[in-house]
Amino acid sequence: MKLNLRWGLMALSLLCCFSIAQAQQRVSGIVTDADSGESLIGASILVEGTSTGTITDIDGSYTITIPEGGSNLQFSYTGYATVTETINGRSQIDVQLSAGSVLDEVVVIGYGSVKKDDLTGSVNTVEARTFNQGAIVAPTNLIAGKVAGVQVQNDSGEPGGGVTVRIRGGTSVTASNNPLYVVDGIPLPDNGGGVAGGRNPLNFLNPSDIESMTVLKDASAAAIYGSRGANGVIIITTKKGVAGAPQITYDGNFTVSNVIAGTQQSLTADQFRDVVTFAAPDRIERLGTNSTDWFDQATQTGFGTQHNLSIGGGSESSTYRASMGYQQLEGVLIGAETERINLALNFTQSMFNDKLRIGLNLKGVSTNNDYDNGVVGETRRFDPTQPIFDPGNNTFAGFFEYNQALAPRNPVSTIEQIQNGGSAYRGIGNLDLEYNFDDLIPGLSYKVVLGFDVEDGQSERFVPRTYANELVSGFDGEFEIKNGRRTSKLFDTYLTYDFSVGSNQFKLQAGYSYQDFDQFYPEYIGRNLETDAFGPFNPGIADELIVRSTIIENRLISFFGRLNWNINEKYLITASLRRDGSSRFGEENRWGLFPSAAFAWRVLEESWASGLTGAFTDLKLRVGYGVTGNQDFDDYLYLPIYQFGDQRVRYQFGDEFISTVRANAYDAGLKWEETTSWNIGLDFGFLNNRLTGILEFYQKDTEDLLFSINVPAGTNLSDRVTTNIGALRNRGVELTLNAVAIDQPDLGLNFTGNISFNDNEVRQLDGAGSADVLTGGISGGVGNNVQILRVGEAVNAFYLYEHIIGDDGRPLADGIDHNEDGAINLADIYVDQNNDGMVNDQDRRVAEQPAPRAVLGLTTNLTYKNFDFSFTFRGVLGNFNYNNNSSVRGYFRAITEGGQWLNNLHPSATFTRFSGPQYFSDYYLENASFLRLDNVRIGYNFGAIAGGAMNLNVYAIGQNLFTLTNYSGLDPEVGNGIDNAPFPRARIFTVGLRLGL
Amino acid sequence: MQNYQAILLLLIGLSMASCTDLELLPQDRADPNAVLSSEDNYEAFLARIYSGLAVTGQQGPAGASDIQSLDEGFSQYLRPFWQLQELTTESSVIAWGDAGLPELCFQTWTSDNQFVRAMYYRIFFQVSQANEFLRETTEDKLQARGIREGFWPTVDIYRAEVRFLRAFSYWHAIDMFGDVIFYTEENAVGGDNPPQQSRAEVFNFIASELAAIENELPEPGGNVYGRVDRAAVWMLQAKLFQNADVYAGQDRQSDAITALEKIINSNNFLLEPEYAHLFGADNHISRELIWTIPFDGLNTQTFGGLTYLTHAPVGGTMDPLAYGINGGWFGLRTTSGLVNQFEDPTGETDERAIFYTDGQTLEIDNISEFSQGYAVPKFTNITSEGETGSDPRFADTDYPVFRLADAYLMYAESVLRGGGGSREVALQLINDLRERAFDSNAGNISDAELTLDFILDERSRELYWEGHRRTDLIRFNQFSENGVWPWKGGVAEGQTTDSFRNLFPFPATEILANPNLRQNTGY
Repeated sequence: MKLNLRWGLMALSLLCCFSIAQAQQRVSGIVTDADSGESLIGASILVEGTSTGTITDIDGSYTITIPEGGSNLQFSYTGYATVTETINGRSQIDVQLSAGSVLDEVVVIGYGSVKKDDLTGSVNTVEARTFNQGAIVAPTNLIAGKVAGVQVQNDSGEPGGGVTVRIRGGTSVTASNNPLYVVDGIPLPDNGGGVAGGRNPLNFLNPSDIESMTVLKDASAAAIYGSRGANGVIIITTKKGVAGAPQITYDGNFTVSNVIAGTQQSLTADQFRDVVTFAAPDRIERLGTNSTDWFDQATQTGFGTQHNLSIGGGSESSTYRASMGYQQLEGVLIGAETERINLALNFTQSMFNDKLRIGLNLKGVSTNNDYDNGVVGETRRFDPTQPIFDPGNNTFAGFFEYNQALAPRNPVSTIEQIQNGGSAYRGIGNLDLEYNFDDLIPGLSYKVVLGFDVEDGQSERFVPRTYANELVSGFDGEFEIKNGRRTSKLFDTYLTYDFSVGSNQFKLQAGYSYQDFDQFYPEYIGRNLETDAFGPFNPGIADELIVRSTIIENRLISFFGRLNWNINEKYLITASLRRDGSSRFGEENRWGLFPSAAFAWRVLEESWASGLTGAFTDLKLRVGYGVTGNQDFDDYLYLPIYQFGDQRVRYQFGDEFISTVRANAYDAGLKWEETTSWNIGLDFGFLNNRLTGILEFYQKDTEDLLFSINVPAGTNLSDRVTTNIGALRNRGVELTLNAVAIDQPDLGLNFTGNISFNDNEVRQLDGAGSADVLTGGISGGVGNNVQILRVGEAVNAFYLYEHIIGDDGRPLADGIDHNEDGAINLADIYVDQNNDGMVNDQDRRVAEQPAPRAVLGLTTNLTYKNFDFSFTFRGVLGNFNYNNNSSVRGYFRAITEGGQWLNNLHPSATFTRFSGPQYFSDYYLENASFLRLDNVRIGYNFGAIAGGAMNLNVYAIGQNLFTLTNYSGLDPEVGNGIDNAPFPRARIFTVGLRLGL
Repeated sequence: MQNYQAILLLLIGLSMASCTDLELLPQDRADPNAVLSSEDNYEAFLARIYSGLAVTGQQGPAGASDIQSLDEGFSQYLRPFWQLQELTTESSVIAWGDAGLPELCFQTWTSDNQFVRAMYYRIFFQVSQANEFLRETTEDKLQARGIREGFWPTVDIYRAEVRFLRAFSYWHAIDMFGDVIFYTEENAVGGDNPPQQSRAEVFNFIASELAAIENELPEPGGNVYGRVDRAAVWMLQAKLFQNADVYAGQDRQSDAITALEKIINSNNFLLEPEYAHLFGADNHISRELIWTIPFDGLNTQTFGGLTYLTHAPVGGTMDPLAYGINGGWFGLRTTSGLVNQFEDPTGETDERAIFYTDGQTLEIDNISEFSQGYAVPKFTNITSEGETGSDPRFADTDYPVFRLADAYLMYAESVLRGGGGSREVALQLINDLRERAFDSNAGNISDAELTLDFILDERSRELYWEGHRRTDLIRFNQFSENGVWPWKGGVAEGQTTDSFRNLFPFPATEILANPNLRQNTGY
């Protein structure tokens, strides 16, 4: 393998030569927008069949010298339909380009691209101009609400935090459900990678460097990525330079984030005093005399700023683009902040009469993160009658704290005293070489991609000696430093052969791909520090130092091929085959085969359909089938492994402590999860494509679902083994509609909406097909689960008791013999589902699911003269949340639980009047459907200013402006349907300007 | 130009013949061949089978867990073992509301009970690791791995110890679950579902294993601290035979006497003069302990074991520092059923009555309230010198699995049950214990007072909270259909339960996973 990389680099260094074009004739003209008549800056003009080209200047005008033999000029502009003009001896050619036309739009599909018209699979592209805007750190947020069947959800309101992306629902329970991200041809590790010190690993990409994001939704499209395609693929293409004079763009903005007050999540000091007085009268003396809003103390107005500068340009044979970005964003929780510096460089060069094209992409990023200390839950629990500071007591650095081990901790003390941050660096680069063998065999080309991806990060957490947890444990401070280094190398190579036979056009591809991943995670923990003076940075002073590390390597090797066959522009056939090998499996199961086939029919091309062309401007029917795999789970599960224990689990033999070694459980026969899917789609356009849309139906069946199951005790080396055991199905319908309502030079209005329905079902869980697996662990007690995997039900459906509602509309309170049977038990408050006279585990029922049944997005764009206005609504329907915030503190006994202090309650306690915890009551299960105004933008284009030297746009953006929901928690959008005091989401306002030179 | 094309063609050729190697072995973990090619690692593997009784995974105090069926700290071997043996009796209640925990106090557990599940999988984790050890240390394997013959005798002793540990866990299995699945090193990893065997068959297997290894192990005191010797084998034999009627419908009291006499006559063990020192941070120095599970605040960390037994009983007005710990967990207390066994529960006369009563009520209206029921700080992390253990979060105290006082009580009981021996000796042994407890002969009993009922009560006074109570009550048929104590049956005054409660149910997960297994009656 190393040999190949070396050859590739040698080839590049050898290929240094210049091609010279000879001047023959000059053509000039102006390129304008067909609708607005405005000149288009940076439109590219190419002499067909040659590498000669130029771009338009700031007035939209161009001049080009036509080489000998050149007869046609091609005019193109991103997002516009390409126009070809025959020169015919003219010296002045003015051209109007139409925006928004789908004609000849090119879409990347993995290892190449096709004309949008020729697509056979379910592929959606979102261009930069329709991205969400504002204070966006993670690239995936750019397309939230934009693509049918793609759910993009921030895990919390943490700046730069994790984002969960699901394409047509999850296909797995144990393995990853994240789509594969491919950035400029480089597939990233699961969920984008990521090491210690960072946040969302995709944050290495500056959103302003992204040209487009393409989502491969169905298996016929994703199968070219074989074992990594089961959850769909998102191909991210970054911006490239455009031939012509240097274009300089600056974009800067300023952001303010506010906490959304929302519904009350804990009692105020006065309410709490009242409740303690009647619910825990013997603890009244423990009430304080203050009135502290802990949540308010832990939150802030966050400020942020962003600056992006780019320069791009090029000559006829080469282009370049360099950009630099800076972003800093504070969270609404005190202490949470992210800062990032990006650099990106793109360079393309064509040589030897355009026979050889070289592309180079380099991206580097440095991120600094400060993490909040997870105090939201504590702000809800800490006694609101206590003060922040305890003037009489300097033990805990002056903060009020309880001198007891399991007591809640003063959130302000936690925020102020614990340092928690990190930094991460990432570099991704790739060199593409594409050679065109037209001389030898017309239509044959060969491409090599060499890439690398390196990440390095470190996080540091430091707890000083004065923090209460340290003091009550008899400890003198501690720190924890985690490092991570991840490297990945990529080598892709493929041949492409375009040819036609009669009215049949063929494109054949065959290739090989190699990618490896090395990960190294050392970490060290130090306890009992001589002084707080050095924070985490002087490990030598720790009395007790614990060091450990993990090393993981894995490798993927693939052979792939694809055929695109266009029959008379009427019928389109795509077939692909990928053979993948993964180091995660034993020899017998190491290689997998992932085929796909798709067929599309352009109905309007049929001669009999000529009558339809009046109504329809586009009508295409697509059918696709494909098999994809999933191998994104832990490594070495198939191998018998003896694992050594660390220094704290040694065992005493005599006077010595002996380190131990354990035989780990394994399944030698582990294999891929396989998803077989069908897709039927209809693309349509009416009214001269003023109304276009896509309607799709799909079904995805995942088999050999990996799951950690209980094996018969004794048959393996632990109680559970990860093995291929289950099956699940996702089925759904998606509809996307684009409507251009008004299309006038001074006034434009269009709508883009999508709605998708997904239904998932567990089909099998073990050999016998009848096992239930409890999932969805909650906060409150240990081992308490509120969700279930059961055959025939949705994945992680809720599994709770049905609480009986009293005449007063409240759930019946516990501790009362409601059914007057002489005993106080669960039958008093819960429905006896199986009518066996008692209420026990058998009476919990499956109801509702955490995943939305429908996801919708609506974007509207309005332009009026120089104003532009857009907004995006995003909504989900049919998803439920278990309100864990309410259940864990929603009962009176919680006041006194744990020890000699008071715990604040959730306000639901005063409604339900529960005395003890009712963790399994469906009272806490709430419909969490919502409709959110995600993004609003208003902009004004001043056009050319300063005597035409530059172009100025100003804009204001609001994010997360309002949410319509019946959910009683702070925010209906939570990770897995269990609402457990996440980082609160902010309302964000941004103002900014954009300058073009 | 053709040159470049040639280079490209060469590239194509190369890439097509590229690497297809997918064999990647881990670097921070190793396969059995690599590990067992080094002599040192045999002791490490042996230590791991012992430490299966003490820790929960390969990282302390939690991490790289051995089993996944329950939260790691909750599933430490001794923690569910202790809970199943003690929470189910009059000796203790717990305040926490974790799913399945109050049900242990009420004797209303079901097959979904996560503590029963944890116990079950811990037992068979031990058995499967022991089987793996025995599979991988045969002479053929030693030879194949190039282990020199001079080391083989050491491995033979290790193998005998491993067989003891497997027998010990199988004993727990039949004691708690009755007819259990059975398999040995003959069964391969990932093999067929093991069959269920009758309690009596497994009883016979344990007995034959103990007989087979008895002489392979060192004499009493001949092994290093923490590892088993013949005295541990005799003690386990005595436990097995004394309960043989329950396990196999056999009267083996005389075999129990034989084993106990070997222990008593070995003169290797002495009663600890100060009762409380048996349960403190430096109890490893006591000559009374026959076999312990050692814990250490720095080197053997867990959230179960003695960390649990020193923290969970502390709460209310108790000062954690007085017990050498960083903070109480406000969980365990006892019922009046235990307290009333002592004529004087203050500890003034019988020093075994270690109860904390300040702010605590004797009777319990609500088991969730820590202040109800006396607290029991029997196990502490304080040394006999009054010093705190090495880490207030994790106890140094060792768990006394077998101690001489238990052997005395067992001897007396087997004598009373007609197993032979000497009644005179039995009375002397009991009075030895009482003199230690009363610091005088004030508590001594007469021959007439030496009855089986007295033994059962005396066992609770001497051995409460040491993990024997449920087995004792079942042997005396006082656990379910007889015997009443507060909160038994889920009511404050207590009520009897059905006799099927003498066995725990197999976990529902296991019933689903292994079709060979028949659920115990009543569940």
